[in-house]
Amino acid sequence: MRKNLFILMTCLVVASLLLSACRTAATTAPETEAPPPPPPPTDTAVPPTEAPTEPPAPTDTPVPVGPPDLSGETITLYHFGDLSGPYAAITAPLIHGAEDAVKAVNEAGGIYGAMLAIQFADDAGNIDEAVAAYDRFTSEDDNPLVMITYGSGEAEALAQRFAEDKIVNVTAGLSSKAFYGAGSGYTFGLGPIYPDQLGLVMQFLVDNWADYKPAEAGDEVKLAHISWPTAFGQGALTTESRAFLADLGVEIVAEETYDVSPTADTTTAILNAQAAGANVIWTNTLAFGPAAVLNGLHALGLRDQFVVAGANWTMDLATYAFLADPAYAVGLIAPTPYLWWTDADNPGVQYAEELFAANERGAGEHNVGYLLLVAGVDLSVKAITHAIDTVGYENLNGEAVQAALIEMSPFEALEGVFRVDYSGGSRSPHTSQIRMIQGGPDAFNILQDWADTPDLRPSE
Amino acid sequence: MGILRPAGEYDTSYAADMATIRQPWQWGLLAVFLLALYTLPLYASQSTVSLVNRIGITIIAVQGLNLLTGYTGQISLGQAAFMTTGGYISALLVNNQGWPFLAALPVAALGAGVIGLIFGLPSLRVKGFYLAMATLAAQFIIPWFTRNAFPEVLNGAQGLNVNAPTILGMEFNNPQRYLYLTLSILIITTIVAYNVSRSRLGRAFVAIRDHDLAAELLGVNPFKYKLMAFFLAAVFAGVAGTLSAHNIRHLNSETFNLIDSVMYLGMLVIGGLGSNLGPIFGAVVVEILIELATIFGPFFIELFPSTAAGAVQALRPLFFGTTLMLFLIFEPRGLAHRWQLLKAAWRLRPFSH
Amino acid sequence: MNWQLIPQFSVTGLLAGGPLALTALGLVLIFKSTYIFNFAQGQLLLMGALLTWWLAVDIGIPLWLAIILAVFMSALIGFLIERLALRPMTGQPLLSIVLMTLGLSQVLQGLALLFFGGVQRNFPQIFSTANPYKITTPLYYNGNPIVLILKQNLVWSFVIAIVCVLLISAFFRFTNAGLAMRGASEDHELAQSLGLKIHRIFGLSWALAGVVASIGGVLLATSSGLDLSLSIVVLAAFPVVLLGGLESIPGTIVGGLLIGLSQGLVAASKVPMVRNMAEIMPYIVLLIVLIIRPEGLFGQKRIERV
Repeated sequence: MRKNLFILMTCLVVASLLLSACRTAATTAPETEAPPPPPPPTDTAVPPTEAPTEPPAPTDTPVPVGPPDLSGETITLYHFGDLSGPYAAITAPLIHGAEDAVKAVNEAGGIYGAMLAIQFADDAGNIDEAVAAYDRFTSEDDNPLVMITYGSGEAEALAQRFAEDKIVNVTAGLSSKAFYGAGSGYTFGLGPIYPDQLGLVMQFLVDNWADYKPAEAGDEVKLAHISWPTAFGQGALTTESRAFLADLGVEIVAEETYDVSPTADTTTAILNAQAAGANVIWTNTLAFGPAAVLNGLHALGLRDQFVVAGANWTMDLATYAFLADPAYAVGLIAPTPYLWWTDADNPGVQYAEELFAANERGAGEHNVGYLLLVAGVDLSVKAITHAIDTVGYENLNGEAVQAALIEMSPFEALEGVFRVDYSGGSRSPHTSQIRMIQGGPDAFNILQDWADTPDLRPSE
Repeated sequence: MGILRPAGEYDTSYAADMATIRQPWQWGLLAVFLLALYTLPLYASQSTVSLVNRIGITIIAVQGLNLLTGYTGQISLGQAAFMTTGGYISALLVNNQGWPFLAALPVAALGAGVIGLIFGLPSLRVKGFYLAMATLAAQFIIPWFTRNAFPEVLNGAQGLNVNAPTILGMEFNNPQRYLYLTLSILIITTIVAYNVSRSRLGRAFVAIRDHDLAAELLGVNPFKYKLMAFFLAAVFAGVAGTLSAHNIRHLNSETFNLIDSVMYLGMLVIGGLGSNLGPIFGAVVVEILIELATIFGPFFIELFPSTAAGAVQALRPLFFGTTLMLFLIFEPRGLAHRWQLLKAAWRLRPFSH
Repeated sequence: MNWQLIPQFSVTGLLAGGPLALTALGLVLIFKSTYIFNFAQGQLLLMGALLTWWLAVDIGIPLWLAIILAVFMSALIGFLIERLALRPMTGQPLLSIVLMTLGLSQVLQGLALLFFGGVQRNFPQIFSTANPYKITTPLYYNGNPIVLILKQNLVWSFVIAIVCVLLISAFFRFTNAGLAMRGASEDHELAQSLGLKIHRIFGLSWALAGVVASIGGVLLATSSGLDLSLSIVVLAAFPVVLLGGLESIPGTIVGGLLIGLSQGLVAASKVPMVRNMAEIMPYIVLLIVLIIRPEGLFGQKRIERV
């Protein structure tokens, strides 16, 4: 019996060796079979219903011999994120947003007829697995153009590789180190870096302190930074942002951390912040992160002693999923460097809404992640299109896409849902709204309209 | 077939009996095998080369653990923590002090060894489960230290970006180049591990494992040799951690975690405890299983919509845990033992019984 | 030190020790009768919580019924684990058995991820999330009385956990099955020769451990939320077991409270690094115990010394 077992195991090992030798790309298959008639749309963000009827409008950019016909070609976008680790709560909508957006772009004719494909790798939030996925992607494709990342940790760790291999990284992880660290240069953010966000909100609170201060608070803004101990969680506290806060007269009286887990207890962090005399809490977390702070504040009966603010991710449906009571979210302040689903008069939001309905996505995914990735794909498509116009398809590479992103700046992704500007050596935009939750998930009300954030990127 | 010596032919000198590589054709086979590995980048894809790099580094860590757990019989759940130690030391020396990689590597290994020695001290007083707990403490305290101590240098939980190694002006910044580094160091550690196991040191380890009191009566000081085993295991871990950190080019307190420590023990059992081939078999099999999970994962997406693409991450512990349990029940002596049986059977063929 | 926080953090630390003690109890139950250190106990905990969530939220049956069903299912899982995974390991060396439970923990973790996904979930609230208990202490700081703020779920989790430990204690002391289990823990062969069905006792121990684990899982999940990292709580319970003594049921309460207290006290420090020591306090205590008194506070002095 043991002998048979052994033979079986040997066979398994041999089979596995063979399989790994001739492995195929584990991928969402690009729909190359039947490309729809390719009228080259110059603006791929137009809803699919309108696109095919549009005439091939001549573009402003110098096109050598008219718009090329790229039918039969495939352009692959790669993205990696965390579906099974701490950021799982936010990742599924990101992926679905990307998939739906790519599908819509293909239905509208792709990029000059070339079909988009998208490949995903789950790295569970581990850097070493992100690197393994990166190696896998780069070995399957000798000319990758754009990779999308979601985590600050991944973006930071891979920034050098992206620059070395000249692959554009469009990222939602907005830690300044990824964008402006040594050897970086191909990492572009969809929103302002976290130090900018912190600076913007603190500036706003200092200017309007009388209106927003808790009843018992003094005249000074005293900040408690209560966040996760990760690259993302600590992303807002940099030398530059500390100096900016000091100039502003905001004292950081407490820096507390809590576990990246919905089971984390924030009691000690909150009580320490209270003992240190804080009256504003900033949390650079998402989903159960801000929920843990808000739940903790309410469970301790201390909510009315603090203004609670956080990075753009805190103001999201994902946070509601973890609140003991939806009313606990009321009063949360966050910068929102994008329009929200409720801005229904915006064509970009309408487009995203159409995709959302057409693909029958669940209500829980109606959050920032989905919107962000529809915009991220749009931004990538715009940049790739611009790069093809400039250098031609045969010369298309990551370098050309990077140049396109800078050349196009400032521009709007998804019809103004996102406003980005990569000019002047900046690889993250410096403009955002500030919103406050004043009701349910539909009431993310604007406190301050689009305004420039302080520019707190590190000197390179 | 002259692949193995026929039965009835014996060594006639001590040197011949002790020889590691016993016949000229074995030298030839080894050379061909190494050549095939070194030329891998010429014919294999980057992801395969990247996988071989990971396997090589894992083998080094498991070789160290084999000296401690396989030969000396001390359970350690802290091997990954010593990798963290080595990785951080080397990263700081190379990045901040501008040391050449080849100088930082041995220092990092020794540094990890010293820390390993410290956490091995409880082995003087307790053993078995209690010792496993002490090493588990290392697995918590060391990463905690890197997260919280000297934040301006160690950069807290965010960790460090690590430079790619540069040797003689050549930068090892892609998997293909890194392979030469991994393989060369793996060859050195394999030779060291092999020679430790067949020297006085290795026999003292085995004596302690088999019966520590008897070993002491025979003049083997158990304290000294247990500590040496802890030291050596951590040195190997330090080397592996350094190689891995410079390969990933990033290091934080979670890069080498408890799951890794558990996996190394599992690899050792699957490969074969107390055998020099064990770490190699174990690491190769488990790493390939994990790779299989990556390949098969997407097929599971259809079956388990709740996990979506996360199936990849679910299959890894599932494959690993199942394999480990099957081996524990059916072949606790691991693949290396099977290999020995196979060789013996081949050698005595056709009279295998 | 933030002196004004010491009363608060001592009490919250002690209260947090309750669920720790309950988790540790599961380990002790199994060790007491089978001499196995169950590294998969954390995953049993996770299973209990996930099953409750699945029954109560996904299927939609009432929470109390879901908890009872989950408890029974966990008992069954515990029983099956003993029968299928650990029984074949009888007589194997320690390393093999430790690795068996480690392998088991990996399999269970993988299954949990496969069937439930990695997404974190909100768990049904059992206790009120607002209206904390406020207790004014006779102590003063800067002229103001120090008021303790205690979250409801913290207090009630503590009470339930301690009651569970006491119930199991009583079971061991006053019932025939408990007597048989105590007997088996003295000496397997002797117990068997006296006619005790030792394998049935092993199975019963694992089933009890499953029950305890699922209650612990529900208590931990309801206080904040549920995700797969819940299983790591067992790693803080190992030091509790060692501190209390490997075979001592009352020891788990004392150990749990002491470890909880130590975590609470460092959190009152003014130095951030000391404050962050809360997460490794169990292991610092463990190292101290190993050096000073390896048998723990209430353990039997038969551990193997070198």
